[in-house]
Amino acid sequence: MRMAAVKRMSVYGLFMLVAVTLFYSCSAPLADVKVAKKKTVALIVRMKHGDYWRTVKLGAEMAAKEYERNLNFYAPDYEEDSRRQMELVQQAIADGSETIVMAPSDEQVLREAIKLTRERAIPLFVLDTVGKDSAVNSYIGTDNYDMGMKAFEKMVYLIEKKGQIALLGTDRVKANAKRREQGVLDLLPRETQVELIANEHVPLDKKQIGEWTRELIRKHPQLKGVIALDASTAIGVAEEMENSGLRDKVKIKIVAIDSPSEVLAYLQEGIISATIIQKPLSMGYLGVKYAVEASNGGAVPSLVDTGTKVIDRENMFWSENQKLLFPFVK
Amino acid sequence: MKRLLAVIKVKGIQFIITTSFTLVTVLVMLFVGVMLYGKFAQTAEQNAYLHTQQILEQVKYNLDSYLNGMTQIFELVDDKIRRSKGLTADKLSEQLETIVETRKDIVSIAVFTRDGTLLSTTPTKVLRRNTRLTEQSWFQKAIEDPTNLSFSLPHIQNLFKGEYTWVVSMSREILLHGPDGEIPAVLLVDVNFKEIDDLCQRVGLGKKGYVYIIDLVGNIVYHPQQQLIYAGLKNENRSLPLKHSYGSYVEETQDEARLITIKTIDQLGWKIIGVSYMDEIVTTKKEISGFIIWLLIIVIVIVLFVLHYLSAKISRPIKLLERSMEKVEQGDFSESEPIRGSHEVEQLSLRFQLMVAKVRELMHQIIREQEAKRKSELEVLQAQIHPHFLYNTLNSVVRMVGIGKNEDVITTITSLSKLFRISLSRGKNIITVQEELEHVLNYLIIQKMRYKQKFEYEIVAEDGVLDCLTLKLLLQPIVENAIYHGIEHLADPGRIRIFAALIDGKMLLQVSDNGLGMPPDVLERVKAGCYKSKEGSGVGIQNVQERIRLTFGEQYGLEIESEQEEGTVVRIWIPRQIAEERERL
Repeated sequence: MRMAAVKRMSVYGLFMLVAVTLFYSCSAPLADVKVAKKKTVALIVRMKHGDYWRTVKLGAEMAAKEYERNLNFYAPDYEEDSRRQMELVQQAIADGSETIVMAPSDEQVLREAIKLTRERAIPLFVLDTVGKDSAVNSYIGTDNYDMGMKAFEKMVYLIEKKGQIALLGTDRVKANAKRREQGVLDLLPRETQVELIANEHVPLDKKQIGEWTRELIRKHPQLKGVIALDASTAIGVAEEMENSGLRDKVKIKIVAIDSPSEVLAYLQEGIISATIIQKPLSMGYLGVKYAVEASNGGAVPSLVDTGTKVIDRENMFWSENQKLLFPFVK
Repeated sequence: MKRLLAVIKVKGIQFIITTSFTLVTVLVMLFVGVMLYGKFAQTAEQNAYLHTQQILEQVKYNLDSYLNGMTQIFELVDDKIRRSKGLTADKLSEQLETIVETRKDIVSIAVFTRDGTLLSTTPTKVLRRNTRLTEQSWFQKAIEDPTNLSFSLPHIQNLFKGEYTWVVSMSREILLHGPDGEIPAVLLVDVNFKEIDDLCQRVGLGKKGYVYIIDLVGNIVYHPQQQLIYAGLKNENRSLPLKHSYGSYVEETQDEARLITIKTIDQLGWKIIGVSYMDEIVTTKKEISGFIIWLLIIVIVIVLFVLHYLSAKISRPIKLLERSMEKVEQGDFSESEPIRGSHEVEQLSLRFQLMVAKVRELMHQIIREQEAKRKSELEVLQAQIHPHFLYNTLNSVVRMVGIGKNEDVITTITSLSKLFRISLSRGKNIITVQEELEHVLNYLIIQKMRYKQKFEYEIVAEDGVLDCLTLKLLLQPIVENAIYHGIEHLADPGRIRIFAALIDGKMLLQVSDNGLGMPPDVLERVKAGCYKSKEGSGVGIQNVQERIRLTFGEQYGLEIESEQEEGTVVRIWIPRQIAEERERL
């Protein structure tokens, strides 16, 4: 009788102990769970450095904070390093990313990334590239064709609808540069008094660009404008104009693409007349925003144009443009 | 359902205790839970409000002191310029350079004429082309309001070659000592915006909340998502902050509610606005309610277990007590184990045990007393010699004397005197078989005299029987019945045989006659003890039977066999007891 009572007591005691333990284990980690639950979005871009990609990252960070996601940033050290970028895609998948937002270095990387993400059913969002693959949830980037057209229209306006112009671009980021060129070429027939006297691809080297510029001006003294299809070409041409003292002798208008600080400095100096800028911040922000919305089951557009803007000396310091052109407070 | 209820025993102590206590516990816990939730939620909300207020106060304080520092530097520069002979004085540029070097966040100090020509700059820098500085707000403000120091909105400084920097421009008109007297000029001190930007960026309100700053007319000074707003991807509703200068307001839109807290830097009219999201406060509430619900469930589970145990501990001994009472009710007065439990129940059990013991004792006593009383009654009855018998006997004696049969008179009187002697036998109840047989023999002698040899008798006793003990006067009523009912009306001569023997350790006294016998129904009634004859002593068979059973127990007594026209056999069974053991009875 006594023994039975003792036995029963111990059983009850055990129950209480279990209950109390359960209670504490339930209540204690309440605060931590939420943090651990936060899903991760991977942002893979083409290059670690450069204002353009840093701005993409800044936009992505804003969206990540707003939608309560972790953002993992992956980027190779050099823009052309597609093999390294491929490794980073695998790394991002291995890190357990919920979605991947990437700006592929080239077609090959994109194809590989599509294959890898499709196998694991990871949503893929592509930045700064246009394509039609249905495995990609969204292409988010600039309409480069439109950029080319805007550049041409601005040039036509600057030279008052007549005169000789030249088209100049390096062979980097082939697809995007090609579409800009196409935009220019498609509008050209409209302006009968505008003559395209040169359309050349130049290597990425300031010295060579300088020589090319001198040669061009020597051959075509009547040249009124140069459209540079990327920022580094524009900088090369502008530098040559300034250093050779041609600036004041010949009134050649330069229309550039993008807004690194050199381009902006030349723009204020009046050597570059206008630049067509992209919106990398919107790109990064919308990339992550749509990635989150898609993972929440929302519908996202398959193609997103983040827009462009024509910037010239007149509007470059307007307050709404200042933040676009100078995204970082240094 | 009924069976289930029966198992639970709705009215049982255990059930009542468990349910009522659980009910009370649940009610109390619910009450406490609701109160706690209300209090916690309120406190959480208040804390959130207070927290935001404090953070903004801190931001405001930091900004205030930073801007005050900057103002002091501006005044210092102004003072230095005023004191020196001219802008080109070596000492002045040295002093200004020192100031710029010690304060890294000062980008440049520059002096312009009223038409926008650069007069001097520290550190020395080349002016860019196309600055349009006269169109810039800091310049215009300095011209419009020459006496007050003006702070511009953060903007890109495009004046000097080098990096483009975000700055806040401080400007005011100053007076320069020129060769032709004092000439007015514009002093510009550009302060790097990074300090303020960092300060605001570091501030977080919850997970999503943020701080932004606008000027008097609603232009954004700082906003973490400024670019998104300009790109049209975001919108910040600035109507509340424009209306109010201080306080907390809840702004509700379709999908979210936000807590807007506003502070104003008086010096500049800039408004610091804290935006925190109500759903984060609600999350805290949810966490609290989740915690309280868990607490409730667990406490109830624990209470249930404890109550179950406690109520069982209380009710089990009571049930045991009930069971032992039931046993008593069914007539089992045997002693049972005392019940262990709470003090009260143990006492109850003890008292009950005592009571049962008392009852048991009383019952035994009553039985004993009743038996004794009955025995003595029977003995008294037995001891009475039927007066009718005495009368008849004495009548016979008188008649014998009349006819001169002295022999017979002597025999009869002698037998009568022996009869009485054994009957009385000094008040003893137990006598030897020999004495009993002698007694019945004397009786038979007298009766034989009276009935004029109408019957024969025979008394046979086996060896060793005579020393055994028996109750006295067992045989006489039987023999009396045999004579009165069996032989008296018999035409033939009767015969009575008395036989004493030891069989299977028991003593047998048998009386058999060859009289009329009894019909079966009469035999049944005699056996059942409810037959009363009109004649006889009235203390017949039933008396004998009862006395044997009272003295020796139920297993002893009479056996009667009777056949009509054949006769009757009565066997008396009593235990075998030797004379030496007499004292024990």
